Amino acid sequence: MKNSFSLKAGALLATAFGIILVSGSTGGVAFAADALPEGFKKAELSPEPAADMIEAGKRVYFTKCVWCHGVDGAGDGPGADRLWPRPRNFNQGTFKIRRTASGELPLFDAKKPIPGQNDLFETVTHGLPGSAMPSWEGILTEEQRLQVLSFVTTQLVKDRKFTDKASESQTVLQLDELKPIAVSEESLKKGAELIVEKKCVECHGAEGRGDGNAFNLKDDWGFSIQPANWHKCWNFRGSRQDPYNVKNIFRTFSTGVNGTPMPSFADNSTVEERWHIANFVNSLCEREADGKPLSIDPLADKPKINFVVSSGVVEGEIPADPEHELWKNRARRYVAMGGQITHKPRNFVNRIDDIWVKSLYNDKHVVFMFQWDDRTKSVAEGKLPWAPTSVNVDVKEQDPKTGEEGSIASHQNNYTVYNDAIAMQTAVKWKELPAPIKPRYLFGSNEQFPVDIVKWEADGSLRAFEGTGWDKDFTQRDTYEENIKILHSEWKNGRWTVIIQRPLGNKKDQDYDEDTFFEMGQYIPTVFFAWDGHNGDAGRKMAVSAFYYTFLEPPTPREAYIYPVVIAFGVVLLEGWVLTRRSNKRKGKTL
Amino acid sequence: MKALMSVAALIGAVGILLLAGMIVDIIPSNTVRLVEGYMPMQVLFELTLFVAGFTGLSYMLGSMGMAVPRFWQGILFWSFILLYLKYRVYPPIPFSVRAMYGTVSLIAVFMWVSANEEDWKKFKQPIMNILDAQTGANKLLRYAYLVLLPILIGGFSYNAMVPKSEEPIELRTVHPAPPASTKVHGKTYTLQTSQNPYRVNLEGKFDQEYSNANIVEQGMGRLMKPNANPWDKDAQGYLKYVREGGEIFFQNCHFCHGDNLNGRGLHAFAFNPIPANFTDPGTIAQLQETFIFWRVSKGGIGLPNEGFPWASVMPPWEQHLTVDEIWKVILFEYWHTGYYPRTWD
Repeated sequence: MKNSFSLKAGALLATAFGIILVSGSTGGVAFAADALPEGFKKAELSPEPAADMIEAGKRVYFTKCVWCHGVDGAGDGPGADRLWPRPRNFNQGTFKIRRTASGELPLFDAKKPIPGQNDLFETVTHGLPGSAMPSWEGILTEEQRLQVLSFVTTQLVKDRKFTDKASESQTVLQLDELKPIAVSEESLKKGAELIVEKKCVECHGAEGRGDGNAFNLKDDWGFSIQPANWHKCWNFRGSRQDPYNVKNIFRTFSTGVNGTPMPSFADNSTVEERWHIANFVNSLCEREADGKPLSIDPLADKPKINFVVSSGVVEGEIPADPEHELWKNRARRYVAMGGQITHKPRNFVNRIDDIWVKSLYNDKHVVFMFQWDDRTKSVAEGKLPWAPTSVNVDVKEQDPKTGEEGSIASHQNNYTVYNDAIAMQTAVKWKELPAPIKPRYLFGSNEQFPVDIVKWEADGSLRAFEGTGWDKDFTQRDTYEENIKILHSEWKNGRWTVIIQRPLGNKKDQDYDEDTFFEMGQYIPTVFFAWDGHNGDAGRKMAVSAFYYTFLEPPTPREAYIYPVVIAFGVVLLEGWVLTRRSNKRKGKTL
Repeated sequence: MKALMSVAALIGAVGILLLAGMIVDIIPSNTVRLVEGYMPMQVLFELTLFVAGFTGLSYMLGSMGMAVPRFWQGILFWSFILLYLKYRVYPPIPFSVRAMYGTVSLIAVFMWVSANEEDWKKFKQPIMNILDAQTGANKLLRYAYLVLLPILIGGFSYNAMVPKSEEPIELRTVHPAPPASTKVHGKTYTLQTSQNPYRVNLEGKFDQEYSNANIVEQGMGRLMKPNANPWDKDAQGYLKYVREGGEIFFQNCHFCHGDNLNGRGLHAFAFNPIPANFTDPGTIAQLQETFIFWRVSKGGIGLPNEGFPWASVMPPWEQHLTVDEIWKVILFEYWHTGYYPRTWD
């Protein structure tokens, strides 16, 4: 104990001298301010972290980080091969989220855990949304976060040195001083023109869904990488807790993303232009119908989820045009999707992480509109090697080792292309399962409690199946297929819109034992599945949602108007009684 | 005293304004953030501050001659507690639990206002004044109440009767009773007598003491003991198996259960309920190792009937992992969270 204390003191003293030395020697250096890109300022390199910080950081690293980032920090830990984007390789000192100019090392000072002045500290604190890097706030203390960064920056960054003045410089974006330009129609118009002029659309796509040049991009290590989807700002790196903040976009655009094809635009755009672009990109992020940002779950940092998909009633025909007023006015539901990693083939890297669902119904049909972002329209070439009813299809799941054939790294963007697809699974005899009870999640429980699966594929097919268990082949239901109809399907600028119509089903005309009976005012357990054909998704390799409920909104019952009036009248009587009692008491009378 | 109270009053005023601003979105809602790991302490601290603040506020207002009547103090404090529970605490507390807290705090408020006869009289006074309606203003108020109360209560009951689409409440058994034995990969394991074959000391003998001495330290961060690094090249026995278990965990489990085993993995946000949080003292910390072995091997599908409604997508890991791999993962989970498995006796 005593030993470590004296070591600490010694190290502190050494750093103190170090700081004096560094600050003394840089005093006379002058910088040519006019050579800097607009909005940036030169800054000093930070001092080396203390030796005891580095030593303590090693302990943090080998408890928490090594599992993905690897023993040598080369981004090759045991978890790395099933992740995409992959964990950072620290060795080259290439970091994505910085306030420093393109190519420079990020800001890091082991003594300054101050937001805005310590890029790496913020990355560890907030994690990187849209990747597997979690937020360590509330898990590691501030001190521990600084310690582990001291270890990483000095021991694992091998090709560069944070304190080497000969090779390193720090040119810092003055993000806190620069005032954003208020959003206005004019600013958005300018932004929309600029993203074409600056060629943003070439990679990010005409509507910014990352569907441009999405398949030829590689990062510095040769791993495939895809442009960001501007419509999901909560997946932007550096956006945690505040995804609708234009400053995050402004910073990425100004400093670029080191190690990826995303360049810095600091040299060829003015600060004003960058704000217009940031405003425009931000305006594309998904919002509520009234233009307000979606409310974000502060624990998951994704849009809040409501597990009830409610269906609105329509008189007469339900329109097939997604631009029809009835569809436009209908509230949509955010359905979060995760990879199916429970049964083989597993989907560790799911490309579809959410879908939007709307629903309408009339006296005969219930119609679902699905919209989801998919960078590619995938239609299988030729005949698929298995029957549509096959469940145990022979698709390779990601193999563990990078470098070997079949790994994510060599396979990414290089899969056999299957069909994009969407499916909904509903419980058949849900009425025999009281409300919270649902059939087994994946493809039903057994013969007694089967599920009804309606699946649309990008080749234009719409099929209905009965599922009786996760490993049982489906039974195709030709008789039901005659009653279901695809009203609309279109892929445009990175987004699918598919409208499926199916009968409500009722006990008289439809066989309740086989069909899901969509009964008004009841909660019908529903699961959604989605496949991205260019990700090699087929069979059980897919994206899945949790159990949601389909709810056909019933009209307001007459009782809702009668009872409140009765109750109000009762309250009036009660008031009269209290008042009489009180006044009698005051007058000294007793009842 | 006055100085102290004015500081408290300042805290109260600032706190109220901040909270109100954050709820109605004038002030960015992340100005004072609740952080998951610290949340219970943060909430307790905030409430303490508010109580101190209110005391200060009422004292200061009293000394300025603008004392808030006891009646309104009680009502305001109670509604503050209700609003705080509803809007501040995240993830949202279900209505039934809020109703319970609300009742308890209502009783507390009543006890406070009726601490002695005089206080109780003061508290009742405004109600009596309205009932008696001796002055013109009170008369007016009485009529207003007469009209407003029925309308308000009628409105509430209408609101309660209009069909709404709220998620049905899901109740489930978190830790269903395990079977006596379980058959995995053709071999039967008796839960009461089986042991984790990798919980061994350097000599290769089962040694719970030895492994318990080498798990991560409790306390913030839960870091490994300085001399017990599973990534040490020379690590043998228990620690070596911990590393192997960690490798399997980070290839299969962290997608849901999270990098820090807190149930906040990459895919966790899509599921309901979210995956088990192993750092919570209510999960693996109070279960036997063989219970975990059974749950991991058989997954959500293997849950017994009382495990309804089977709201679990946990796969039966025997499909993907060998028996040895399952034991190693379990070893890692206890190591990483710093918990000792419960024993059968």
